[in-house]
Amino acid sequence: MSKFHKAVTASVVAALTAFGVAACGGDTGDSASSGGGTGGGDVNVTMTSFPDYVDPQLSYTVEGWETLYNVYTPLLTYKHAKGEDGTKVVPGLAEAMPTVSPDGKTYKLKLRSNMKYSDGTPIKASDFTYAIQRLFKANSGGSVFYETIAGAKEYAGGTANTISGIVTDDATGDITITLTEPNGTFDSILGLTFAAPVPPSTPLDKDATNNPPPSSGPFMISNVQAPQTMTLERNPNFKTVKDAGATEVADANVDKITITQNKSNTAQVTDIEQNRVDYMSDPPDADRLAEVKSRFADRFRMEESINTYYFWMNNQKAPFNDLRVRQAVNYAIDPEALNRVFGGRLHPSQQILPPGMPGYQEFKLYPGQDMNKAKQLIAEANPADRDITVWTDDEPDRKRIGEYYHDVLSQLGFNATLKVISGDVYWATIGNQSTPDLDTGFGDWFQDFPHPDDFFRPLLNGASILPTNGNNYSRANYPELDAKMNELRTKQLEDPGVKDQYAALDKAYMEQAAWAPYGNEQYTTFLSERMDFDKSYRHLLFSQDFSSFAIK
Amino acid sequence: MLRFVARRLTGMIAVLFAISVIVFLIFNVIPNSNPAIRIAGKNANPELIARVSADLGLDQPLWVQYLTLMKKIFTGTLTSYASAQNVTDQIWRGLPATLSLTIGAAVLWMVLAVVFGYLSAIHSGRFTDRALTILSLVGISMPVFWLAAILLYFFTFKVQLFPTSSYVPLTTDPLRWASHLILPWLTLAVLYVGFYSRVLRSNMLDVMNEDYVRTARAKGLPERQVRIRHVLRNSMIPIVTLFGLDFGAVVGGGAILTETVFNINGVGLYAGRAIGSLDLPPLVGVTIFGAFFIVFFNTVVDILYAFLDPRIRLGEAAAA
Amino acid sequence: MAAPFSEVEVADEPPLPTGVPLATIQGRSPWYLAGLRLRRNKVALAFGGLFIVIVLLCLAAPLWADHVAHTTPDANHITDTIDVGGTQVDIVSPDGTPIGPGLRGQYLLGADQNGRDVMVRLLYGGRTSLFIGVVSAAITTIVAVVVGLLCGYYRGWIDAILSRVMDVVWAFPVLLLGIALGTALAVGGLSLGFTTLAGDSVWIPILIIGLVYVPYMARPIRGEVLALREKEFVEAAVAQGKGSVRIMITELLPNVVSTIIVFFTLNIANDMLLESALSFLGAGVRPPSASWGTMIADGYQTIYTAPHLTIIPGLMIVLTVLSLNVFGDGLRDALDPRAKIRLEH
Repeated sequence: MSKFHKAVTASVVAALTAFGVAACGGDTGDSASSGGGTGGGDVNVTMTSFPDYVDPQLSYTVEGWETLYNVYTPLLTYKHAKGEDGTKVVPGLAEAMPTVSPDGKTYKLKLRSNMKYSDGTPIKASDFTYAIQRLFKANSGGSVFYETIAGAKEYAGGTANTISGIVTDDATGDITITLTEPNGTFDSILGLTFAAPVPPSTPLDKDATNNPPPSSGPFMISNVQAPQTMTLERNPNFKTVKDAGATEVADANVDKITITQNKSNTAQVTDIEQNRVDYMSDPPDADRLAEVKSRFADRFRMEESINTYYFWMNNQKAPFNDLRVRQAVNYAIDPEALNRVFGGRLHPSQQILPPGMPGYQEFKLYPGQDMNKAKQLIAEANPADRDITVWTDDEPDRKRIGEYYHDVLSQLGFNATLKVISGDVYWATIGNQSTPDLDTGFGDWFQDFPHPDDFFRPLLNGASILPTNGNNYSRANYPELDAKMNELRTKQLEDPGVKDQYAALDKAYMEQAAWAPYGNEQYTTFLSERMDFDKSYRHLLFSQDFSSFAIK
Repeated sequence: MLRFVARRLTGMIAVLFAISVIVFLIFNVIPNSNPAIRIAGKNANPELIARVSADLGLDQPLWVQYLTLMKKIFTGTLTSYASAQNVTDQIWRGLPATLSLTIGAAVLWMVLAVVFGYLSAIHSGRFTDRALTILSLVGISMPVFWLAAILLYFFTFKVQLFPTSSYVPLTTDPLRWASHLILPWLTLAVLYVGFYSRVLRSNMLDVMNEDYVRTARAKGLPERQVRIRHVLRNSMIPIVTLFGLDFGAVVGGGAILTETVFNINGVGLYAGRAIGSLDLPPLVGVTIFGAFFIVFFNTVVDILYAFLDPRIRLGEAAAA
Repeated sequence: MAAPFSEVEVADEPPLPTGVPLATIQGRSPWYLAGLRLRRNKVALAFGGLFIVIVLLCLAAPLWADHVAHTTPDANHITDTIDVGGTQVDIVSPDGTPIGPGLRGQYLLGADQNGRDVMVRLLYGGRTSLFIGVVSAAITTIVAVVVGLLCGYYRGWIDAILSRVMDVVWAFPVLLLGIALGTALAVGGLSLGFTTLAGDSVWIPILIIGLVYVPYMARPIRGEVLALREKEFVEAAVAQGKGSVRIMITELLPNVVSTIIVFFTLNIANDMLLESALSFLGAGVRPPSASWGTMIADGYQTIYTAPHLTIIPGLMIVLTVLSLNVFGDGLRDALDPRAKIRLEH
């Protein structure tokens, strides 16, 4: 060939070689780690959906709680232990468990002294009141739990300027909470991130995601770029919390955690396999699960999780306001099929409470898929309005579930339209009353605390139909069942017969077919090679405990 | 020259104004739903929605609404429905990644396009030409995101040559910056190489029949010099114009597909995420940004181009 | 009427003396000549044939679905089994793995994770993608021809305004404009006065894609009409007293037909690529409907374990678009060997 051709060929080859060399360099992992040892290093985490809010009073998704558990410490907290042990409530920022009056309506706590937030502001008792006020003024989905505080309803309604039921003394750190009635869940809800004190510089009625309040836990949030990335770093003032005697609040074992969103579950799995990312928040997708189980067994395990997956149906709007239509859906769906969509990680179940939740008793109102019965019920009901909108989010398995459900509804004779919404706004979208066409769609609920009220109240109580951030997507409103729910809450779980009555409540809601539940999902932990696999554990309530992250 | 520049600039401003009107129509007028619901944000309740409706002046005449939107965009106060973040900030943040992707791909596709187009033209009709033409046609027939997925599969999984995804800033680590971008560069380049090499080929074939080329040969210049100095150089001129259009288009949002597949946090991915959240402000922001960038970039190219063309540089009359 | 780019002039023969045998000289129309040239281009014909085969296959989708695969494109068969060589095999195994491709009528290309028949979805998806591509190309063509004729013939302020509008639409990155429109219309649909299109109607992507490409076709047509307008036959028609519209339709239009045909063909290719991109991003065809773009988006989730789910629909797009491009090129060479028509990208 001519000299020119040779020159061209040579330069092309040189360019490709240069690119090749550049490619092969620097591929040993994404984090600039500071070596082994028991403390230190930077960890990379990926999630398919970014937290809904980076705000302790507002966040109510699995991703949100996973991130915030070790950033904001409430007066009480949950033990940093795995399994059922982790559902025990222990003192957090408060010196000790609350002293409860004999009538069960007054709770007294004392804030530990000389504690500071990550920005140096002192932590005050009145910050707890401020946090509870935010729950109501910022329209938090968690506010439903705290309405039994005396004066809360008036404050929320705007007729009072403060919550009369909370009295604090910043000088002594005393906090006295008065309830309108005894509440067997109150210790548990004091331990939720909803009740974490925040300084009054935090906006009272607005989402603080872009500028989160300073932290009271082992990690602080140093950077948020929702919905792409956020960074947690060691809280320099966490020492003040530890020194004040908060032994149950675990310390950090790494210096920095960088959280990035990645919509592709399969790319995340590959990244962990190739040690570019240290932890992924979601379980590997069905098609990669077998491979991960077999080839990476030394850094992968299945984990227990207490949750229920279901389809919510709008009980107040046609066509799902007809009991027969709702029952038809329960007969039409096939929990085994949905299990396969999850890659075999779903335990089929068609009731509200999941196994592992106190009050769970297995019953089988629906014996498995029976399309004929379902069609028969639809024929009887003969709904006039057959145009429905089916909602789901864009995480890969949720999308497939949505398509399956769409097919089932089409077979039942509905004219269904599927709407796939991004995971970081899905819950806020379906929880917002103003969103049009909320007929039915994908739902899941993970245990917040080990008490059945956690499932019934936010998801099925008529008073939980909130204008925004509501979790009662089914708009279920059954006054007799609500009354029973409220009555049961005044008792303690260990009282005789309470658990049985909760089981009966479960059955009652399924007789109303308020939902179409189909199973309980098993979770997983999958870590990169350099992480200390044994140390890191999955908390039953807060997903992976970031304070248990350590580099080998 | 100055009159030319002035004319082009006024033209540009007129087009930019028209673009802003169209964007306003797309997002505020055509849709069948109440924008206030979306604008009020994730946490909105009916009172907030009513307040926002009044705020936005949805009861005001259209031209007032238009001005409000424009004010928001240009004072950089346009905020996303879903994350309450400033759209302008997010676009700035995504720009380095998008520019890295586009400039790298552009260098690659221009170099390859010139090589392939040149070879095709001088071997016109023969095997090299036919082979390269087929490759080019296949290249422009591929969906970019499909090619991206295929490359991802073969070169990050089957053969673990490159990292799967995300972007490492140049300032953090140049080698890793490049290694994360090689596959995206290749993906974007394949599409344009095909097109540009064919345009260059047909331009060169046209130019080769021109008189001045025949004169150059008659003068006794070696064939290679004729080809490069006269034919290639003059064939490049329309390519430059096209390049201006395409470069602008890619930065202005055409990179969205590549960025989505490779999870590169650029302007394109920012827009792509907004689709799933039905979040309109980022799309408004990116669309306006994209269109403005294209128009601005093209005006600059036109002016530079005119500057290089002595007919315009030396006098308006000569250009008429 | 004589066409401006005719290759062969039909000359009037002077009367020959009688008694001499006449060899008849046949006049050949430019279309006939173009057809000859096209027929000589074997490659273009082959690809044109390929396109027809693909279209026929996709049109036959219901036949395949009913008689061979016995299912529909959206039907989930997650817990069903099929008979493979005597044994019952799960379509989707208990751990979520779908059955792979195999030589059989049902699930020829295997199943996806929802237990749907990939071959059936591929054919129906092809129907959707081809339908969107052809119809939007038709819309683009009609609008572009009207605009081009009006601009080129009337010139003046009509041209000034329409050209400016074209310039503005041209300035938008095509993909982004499509996404913007697709998302904005997703929530409430589009009300067109006489009817309302639902947010997930297939006509929304069709309209969007159709309108977005109008400037790409209108400009060249306008250019040609401008040039044609100066020709004598137009002057003659005006002198004869023909109305403007008649002139545009009977004089100008036939002379741009070859341009239109070539652009139309190449436009279908571009439209199919744009549709697949929009569907992949979620702003085009909505799930669970099948189109080649949505199938690639679905397949992408399992690209590492079932690459065929991503590769096959993409390959169909490549083959279809490639055959349109090659055939379109061949058409262009045949209709206008002097390569005056250049499709602007």
